[in-house]
Amino acid sequence: MLTAAVETGCDFGTLVQRHQAMVFSIALHFLRDRATAEEVAQEVFLSLHRNLHRVETPAHAAAWLRKVAVQRSIDEGRRRSRRPQVALEDVGEPAARVAPGDPLLSELLRKLVATLPEAPRMVMVLRYQEDLEPAEIAATLEMPVATVKSHLQRSLAVLRGKLARRGIGERETGWTG
Amino acid sequence: MDWLEDELRRALARQEPPEGFAERVLARSVRGASDARRWLAVAAMVVVAAGAGGAWRQHQGNEAKQEVILALKLASAPVHRIQSEVRGITQ
Amino acid sequence: MKSLFVFVCLAALPVLAAPQQFQLNLDSVAAKASEHVEVSLNASTLQFAARFLDANNPDEAKVKKLIAGLEGIYVRHFTFKSTGAWSQADLEPVRAQLRGPEWSKIVGVVSSEEGENAEIWLRTSGNKSIGVAIVSTEPKEITVVNIAGTIDLEALAELGGHFGVPKVKPPEKGHKEE
Repeated sequence: MLTAAVETGCDFGTLVQRHQAMVFSIALHFLRDRATAEEVAQEVFLSLHRNLHRVETPAHAAAWLRKVAVQRSIDEGRRRSRRPQVALEDVGEPAARVAPGDPLLSELLRKLVATLPEAPRMVMVLRYQEDLEPAEIAATLEMPVATVKSHLQRSLAVLRGKLARRGIGERETGWTG
Repeated sequence: MDWLEDELRRALARQEPPEGFAERVLARSVRGASDARRWLAVAAMVVVAAGAGGAWRQHQGNEAKQEVILALKLASAPVHRIQSEVRGITQ
Repeated sequence: MKSLFVFVCLAALPVLAAPQQFQLNLDSVAAKASEHVEVSLNASTLQFAARFLDANNPDEAKVKKLIAGLEGIYVRHFTFKSTGAWSQADLEPVRAQLRGPEWSKIVGVVSSEEGENAEIWLRTSGNKSIGVAIVSTEPKEITVVNIAGTIDLEALAELGGHFGVPKVKPPEKGHKEE
């Protein structure tokens, strides 16, 4: 293990520090449960530890971690076997006219994303958390690029509709951009 | 830039895991390695005690296990791809 | 004496009947491939291997559950150096058998853009499913699988990428580094 780390420059501790936010956040935004997200994230890094000798470069480690985090999050979601229910009445609603970056809007969006079906939900997380292009998302999820783009379009339309029903939209926010 | 996409980037920005996460992972990885070394030592003693026949059987068993894992890895990849495609169409 | 008995038992394993459900006669494909993996596991070997799968390891526990009761797993996997090295005609010996009355195709996915094709066939006896055939082709890869017995395909799909390093190529130069 030490030999592999020296050869590839992939010290395990460094990889954990560098990528813990990415791995944890993929699990968190997909599963919407901090404790479960931490468990999943720990399992992902332990899996990396067992396979460190196969990782070729730091960039390879990052791509590997992202893919395994996605897979384990999806698996955990299926084990819980239900989509998180958005109890919107439990959350403070943002005002109809919201300023950019309103934390209540952010929380609402996270919950709305969590109600999407499994595949579009993960597509949205990879797009807006990781800033991946559709082709990169397609490679990570082993799905056609056209399907990724379709998930993105439909999900954005669904979110816009749900926000509009709450009176939250471009016009009400006063955004010009 | 689309306002919704901006807000989604903000909402889904990466968050740091709870404090001490890295330490917990490193502790588990070391514990796992120690456990593995301990079990290896125990297994080595069992192998020596059981004699050459037992070691050969263990070796055969591990070989068979690796073959099974390899076979399922190769079989699961196309099935996983089909499942992803079908889910992509139906969702 | 005990170790001799064990040795004899293990040596006898390959002699036991192998209930492959169709002939994986792909010699013409093997001749063109740069790499060739062949795995043939009959019921006895599967049962033997199952004893060495660690029920406390989540991945191995899944494998143990998946193979319980199977009669056999037979895999031929070929990799080619360049596209165009193989043709559909090379797979005709297998496909001809799958056109038989005991087989029916349950799902097929084609990606003409990427040149990928994957099919799952079910073998039935009466109303009972007794086997699965998987034929997967990509420009530089062919995989043909026969699983004799009843297998949970959903559980098999979920295994994809769980063992070892998933198919993630190191990013090319110029890709944003983390």
